Amino acid sequence: MKVDLRKPEFVMKLDRLGSFHQSKLSFLRSFIREFKDWDFQTKEFNLDNEGYGHAIYTVQNRHKQYSLICFSNYLDESDRSDRVIATKWDASFVLFDGAPSKKDIERLQSNVPLQEQGRVSQKELCLSRANKSVRIFEHVVKHLSEGKQPDTKLLYDVGYLYRTTAVYGSGKFGLADRIKIQNRDEIKGPFRLEMMLVYLARQFTFDIVNHVAHHRCPEKAITLHDDIARNLGIGNSTGLGMAPFIVNHPALLNQWIVAKESALKAIRSIALINEIEKKSFQNYLTFIQENIKYWKTDSEYQIKKNKQLLKDLENFQKYFNNLSLGEYFWNSVYQWVEKNTQAECCEFIVSLMMEVYPEIVEPLSYEMSINEEEYFDIDTSRPIYEISQLIENQYTWLLNINFDKKDNIFNFWYYSKNKQEPRLSDRFSEEGADLELPLAIARDIQNLYQELKLMDLKDDLGSYLLKSQRYRHILRRVLICEKLPYSEIQDNTISKSVIPVDMLRLKLSFFGATRFDPRSDRWVRITMYQGAPLMREIHQSNDSWSYKKIA
Amino acid sequence: MQSLYEIETTVLRSSRTQGLSWGVSEEVGKAIRVLEQSNLAGLESFKRIIDLGFDNLNKLLEVNQINTNNLCPIHFGLFFLDQSHKKKFHQTFHFENLVEPLISLPFLIKAAKKNLIYFHLDSKELVLNISPGSLFSVDKNQIPQVISKFSLKLTTQREMQFSPKTWDDLYKLSLETFVDESEEKRISGAGAGLTDND
Repeated sequence: MKVDLRKPEFVMKLDRLGSFHQSKLSFLRSFIREFKDWDFQTKEFNLDNEGYGHAIYTVQNRHKQYSLICFSNYLDESDRSDRVIATKWDASFVLFDGAPSKKDIERLQSNVPLQEQGRVSQKELCLSRANKSVRIFEHVVKHLSEGKQPDTKLLYDVGYLYRTTAVYGSGKFGLADRIKIQNRDEIKGPFRLEMMLVYLARQFTFDIVNHVAHHRCPEKAITLHDDIARNLGIGNSTGLGMAPFIVNHPALLNQWIVAKESALKAIRSIALINEIEKKSFQNYLTFIQENIKYWKTDSEYQIKKNKQLLKDLENFQKYFNNLSLGEYFWNSVYQWVEKNTQAECCEFIVSLMMEVYPEIVEPLSYEMSINEEEYFDIDTSRPIYEISQLIENQYTWLLNINFDKKDNIFNFWYYSKNKQEPRLSDRFSEEGADLELPLAIARDIQNLYQELKLMDLKDDLGSYLLKSQRYRHILRRVLICEKLPYSEIQDNTISKSVIPVDMLRLKLSFFGATRFDPRSDRWVRITMYQGAPLMREIHQSNDSWSYKKIA
Repeated sequence: MQSLYEIETTVLRSSRTQGLSWGVSEEVGKAIRVLEQSNLAGLESFKRIIDLGFDNLNKLLEVNQINTNNLCPIHFGLFFLDQSHKKKFHQTFHFENLVEPLISLPFLIKAAKKNLIYFHLDSKELVLNISPGSLFSVDKNQIPQVISKFSLKLTTQREMQFSPKTWDDLYKLSLETFVDESEEKRISGAGAGLTDND
């Protein structure tokens, strides 16, 4: 039996992309698989009794070393904000390429805590910051200093001690350009170094509570139990800055989606499976259903999705219990799920199916990067009629959208001057639409199509570009999509009904985030590395930690 | 020092503020990035264009256009990047002057590689050959801010860069890796059948 990849017009809809879950392909999991045999160490821990100062963690093998430098500073309550628009933080982090000298640390000490307002250099790879979850931090320190372990119910309701609000890499604020590191074997997967920073920062959050608790009461204090620490991740608050990334990097998006779709196709194509494989899937399903109860959110949108997920999983469990092993078992499972459950559950089951087959899925994680430069140039010798046909075939979904209707052009994306981050606003009531970012892809492809139709279709693209350069950037996308069909979100990203949080969710699921907690339709809190091995036990990781029962 | 990412995005956005389309701005960002990565003063050159103002520059829209004074290096480069696959452009053209020719170079280099063509730029201030090959070197101190009364020759023909004697000497030397063939070897050594047409 031949199983096809799911079609782009099915997968690339925002409501489906916004229902993706973490999987074996997620970057934080592939980071641990890649680095588990490296040596992780705490190199320096120079914090005062209150926990202010700096610490250095190193990750090295015989050939290479990376160092995370953590700065912990006093933060007045009035300055503490979860939003990316904050200007001061409890902790700031920088990932250094190699071993920093004393002079490097001094330089970084005066710049890293300033984040966007500071400058870093080509020696540094990633930059980030985090705030304490004040409630949890104080609770943990107090209990540990009194010789007691903290209340795990309270802890797991939140899921972390600190929340990061941004992780920057690839040349921002003077950081090293991607070109410097792209050929390193250990960095073949996307966002590897960002994942390293977050992993080490999580370790710092455990070390700092132990340190502060000890200095509060050296006689009584105990350290946070490993089992409790392991079940804490590191939080993250993410706003709209992340959303345009997946629109601005179509070739990269294609690689991520193709990896997932290829894994699913390969699993659905397995002709015969045994009872052990079925049982293994059931085990993962059982554990994760237990953990879903820790997914807390106040968002009506996400509450509805989570409720539907639980309901769908209940139905699925009944179906699965009665399912006997037949030919193309997983294909039958998938078809049932697609037909009988919502996207949230369907994509959840897809992620679970991947867990059973590491030999199929894990190699695909090395194919998730791409040299985007190779797709930049436009072949201007192509006849216009070919491109018109291409649009008709690839972008059928947008050709009938009426962009004269207010609701279909309601929003515009722009770049915030204050934060150098993308934002979304109402075009009809707010200023700035004249500085709109080129993220109105559906509208502009339709415009390009209409312009091409006015040309002599036998002419080539060079002739069109002589007449107009207005949609050059869009032409580039159309040609990318021809080669990489999963490169384009098939929804109108400026419509009134767009849910930007779906775009964040898509990216965050590939990062490996869990516990999606949208705080509005524009920003979301998530947890990373919850259940992951601690630094000193990373070499024992068997990649099943995402499905360990919390509590 | 600014990263290449910062240079590219800053140039892209600056270009956009000057009225260039997003697509053209993306091209300019990449071009300046390539120049800076090659230790050529692309950013300074770009800044001089901004100071001069795009309104004071002419876009090259056709090779026979009457006014080729103060040509914009971005549109000059884009023109050949987008059009040089056409045979009708494989000839020599004459222009009045080009402002900041450095900025045109990344476009011409890309066009040469993409369409397997050779550009020969000839002016009294600057002579340049750009080929589809990977090696290209230019002395940054010799690139003027303007070139005047210049020609640009486009050809698909590679020119011979060595003397017949050099070739003969090397070819003879290469023959020393061959084995002298006996009649028997000549018949059986090719590995095919005994007749050429079986």
